[in-house]
Amino acid sequence: MGKKGPLAGLRIIDSTTMVAMPMALHIMADMGAEVIKVETHTLFRTEAARLLYADNEPGDDPWNRDGSFNTLQRSKLGVTLNLKVAEGVQAFKELARISDVVVENNRAGTMKRLGLSYEDLKKEKPDLIYVSNTGFGHTGPWRTYAGIGRMFELTCGLSQFTGYPDEGPRRVGKSFFDQHVGWTAVFAILAALHYRQKTGKGQWLDLAMYQIGVATMGDALLDYEVNGRNGRLMGNRHPYHAPHGVYPCRGDDKWIAIGIENDGQWEALVEAMGSPAWALEERFADASSRLKNQDEIDELLSRWTVGWEHGELMEALQGVGIPSAAVMNSRDVLTNPHMRSRGFYERVEHRADSGIGPKIYFGRPWKMSKTPAKIRRPAPGLGEHNEFILGDLLGRDSGEIGRLYDINVLGKTPTDPPDFKPPSYQRQLEEGTLAGYDPDYAEIVGTEQDA
Amino acid sequence: MLETALGQFKVIDLSTHIAGPLAAKMFADYGSEVLKVEPAPVGDPARGVGPFFHDDPHPEKSLLFFYLNCNKRGVTLNLESAAGRKLLLELVKDADVLLESFPAGYLASLGLGYEDLEKVNPGLVVTSITPFGQFGPYRDYAGSDLVYYAMSGMMYSSGAHDREPLKHGHPQSFYMGGMIAAYATSAALFSRLMTGEGQHIDLSLQESVAAHHYDSATRYSYTGTIERRAPKVESGSFKGTKFEGIVPAADGFIAPTMQRGRPTAPFHEYVTFLGHPELDDSLFADRQMIAEHREELDEVLLPLLKEWKKLEYFNAFMSEGFVAGVVQTSEDLAKCPQLEERGYFAEIEHPVMGRLRVPGEMFRLPECPWSLRRAAPMLGEHNAEVYGGELGVSRGELVRLRELGAI
Repeated sequence: MGKKGPLAGLRIIDSTTMVAMPMALHIMADMGAEVIKVETHTLFRTEAARLLYADNEPGDDPWNRDGSFNTLQRSKLGVTLNLKVAEGVQAFKELARISDVVVENNRAGTMKRLGLSYEDLKKEKPDLIYVSNTGFGHTGPWRTYAGIGRMFELTCGLSQFTGYPDEGPRRVGKSFFDQHVGWTAVFAILAALHYRQKTGKGQWLDLAMYQIGVATMGDALLDYEVNGRNGRLMGNRHPYHAPHGVYPCRGDDKWIAIGIENDGQWEALVEAMGSPAWALEERFADASSRLKNQDEIDELLSRWTVGWEHGELMEALQGVGIPSAAVMNSRDVLTNPHMRSRGFYERVEHRADSGIGPKIYFGRPWKMSKTPAKIRRPAPGLGEHNEFILGDLLGRDSGEIGRLYDINVLGKTPTDPPDFKPPSYQRQLEEGTLAGYDPDYAEIVGTEQDA
Repeated sequence: MLETALGQFKVIDLSTHIAGPLAAKMFADYGSEVLKVEPAPVGDPARGVGPFFHDDPHPEKSLLFFYLNCNKRGVTLNLESAAGRKLLLELVKDADVLLESFPAGYLASLGLGYEDLEKVNPGLVVTSITPFGQFGPYRDYAGSDLVYYAMSGMMYSSGAHDREPLKHGHPQSFYMGGMIAAYATSAALFSRLMTGEGQHIDLSLQESVAAHHYDSATRYSYTGTIERRAPKVESGSFKGTKFEGIVPAADGFIAPTMQRGRPTAPFHEYVTFLGHPELDDSLFADRQMIAEHREELDEVLLPLLKEWKKLEYFNAFMSEGFVAGVVQTSEDLAKCPQLEERGYFAEIEHPVMGRLRVPGEMFRLPECPWSLRRAAPMLGEHNAEVYGGELGVSRGELVRLRELGAI
């Protein structure tokens, strides 16, 4: 039982693209649900356009070699169903009949036009749970607005706090709220499953990204409701404590984050610095005076941190209980001894014919003691499980499956692939978009051994 | 009354601050009976965290605490006392979930670790939320929002190329941790339907942020490249303060783009919607030319964008299928017609603060919706009801427990 994961026995149809829903469903697949990604070879895999080709080689099948896609679709089975053809729609309906959950994030109205809306599929499977994920929900004046992940930091109110105070609001994440939405979607789907367990009833979930993002702003919203106050740009600062920021260390673009949250931590920091005269002055003695004079503290503290190697300084400061951290880049994170020792990263061996070899992926930020989750299989190549799903699950014979290929319902290569070129790391290094490129990265991350 | 989604679960929320309380709130919002057990005598430290009602730093006036603890009942309990520990074991007997955020190993040192609780209630799911998890070399490191951002890879690639790395200005790591704790706990309850057994979940806040920044690890494992904060705004990029970044409008900030479905709309089409069809597009005829004339594009467009009111721009362009963002303030959210029409807010009476409008419904389950049933508990508000009424502790014994500092 344990090996199967906590969600063993569930079957979920994943008819989604982008980040939020694919992420929710790879987590559910890691937890043992059988997640079937339904896509079509007649449209390009949009997630496979991040230009993170395995070993920077697009190869003969670049749509199967993108790291971003392969992260978001891991642990899933994959089938290509062209829903513009009646036979494709029919196969989707039959799949819904033997599934517990259908998740889609198409523009409102698309599934209805295809005859695959909740109302349609409920006829196939009365207790089906059907999730529609959109930017703003299926009702309200903004219901038709594009739900683009990278805009939600702004729209949900987070950017009013984010940015250097002398500059203006900024985004931090790439598509920040996508992941919040993904995680909340897992909770929402499970809530519907718990309800079905009790009542035998399925339902349609209207999951709006906007509402999930705004739910992280509850204190800010109440601050406006009660005190009439809006957010302000915080940089890396804390509303009540100082020093609280990111300070330079030895070397190019090396930084330490230090966040003092009480007098004891400040005293420990002063001692770690060797009790310099400035730090003992009255104007830095308590929280409110430090807050008032924090520009000056930041300046003086920087002069001390810049002589240190950032990892060593983190160890020294953490050793005396000061919340601090080296600012880690992707190499630092992937080789971090703590996360490594916790098994946060998992090594996945890809199919031999993919040419991808072993790669490291992040796991999940939690461990379950009795029903552990794990990455069950690499992301499916385009159409990889067509025969299993059409044949074994839906009972089509090989002649019928062959006909579905002939009439373009099924396919294993995109009908209209764009021109793939690997990005030039040299150019990106020169212009500074990349901080570094390690030709020996496979050895550095230990891809060859178990992660 | 409608059947709820999660009303069959009893949750003991021993956690403090944001992450654990948010997870427990998500259960409470969808029907679970959640009992918040606060450390006696001062309670959840979040009671001391602002913003406060009318800026009065009073333990019943923290708006953060209020938001995260609505729909819960509350008791106080001192786990350092033998009598307090005994009460907790009583509470655990018929609970389904216990959420806690003590330092790793603390509950075990009191004889209240997972192994101890499992003996009392084998079906219990215990979710432990800590900065760095229950084991590993950094187990006892001090965590904070700033620390998690720094140690996830997220911060290194955020901010200006030539300035210090930047995090969000509102502590999102705790909200991530809470949402993750909520789904993991619910999955363990789902698993219990098959196995009949509870289990222990070890959640790391630092890994929660690292999981959020998932493509950092993938990038390095796939390509050996390390992404830095972008030096300049490139076409299609979204960083910085230029077109396609965040730019000033008349009354705030917007993020304009020419993206209108796929592919991007031509310059002429975009400026027509902007109200300036007369603009010369000879430098901007296609995407390649736009990429080569970024500065000229900013010179032409930024002054025109500044004439638009932020929400007017957002509504005008979004309703025409363009991609646009608007930096909404808390006031904008409070007055948002979309949230209003979706019934996002609900009102409730708080004994000290009066009537408050509370956000909000995270997602819609039409058969078993979110509901706001009670305001956040006052410190120890339900001590008599829970210990006296439900555990059957006598009135005299309650007085004694209070005198002992157990509750």
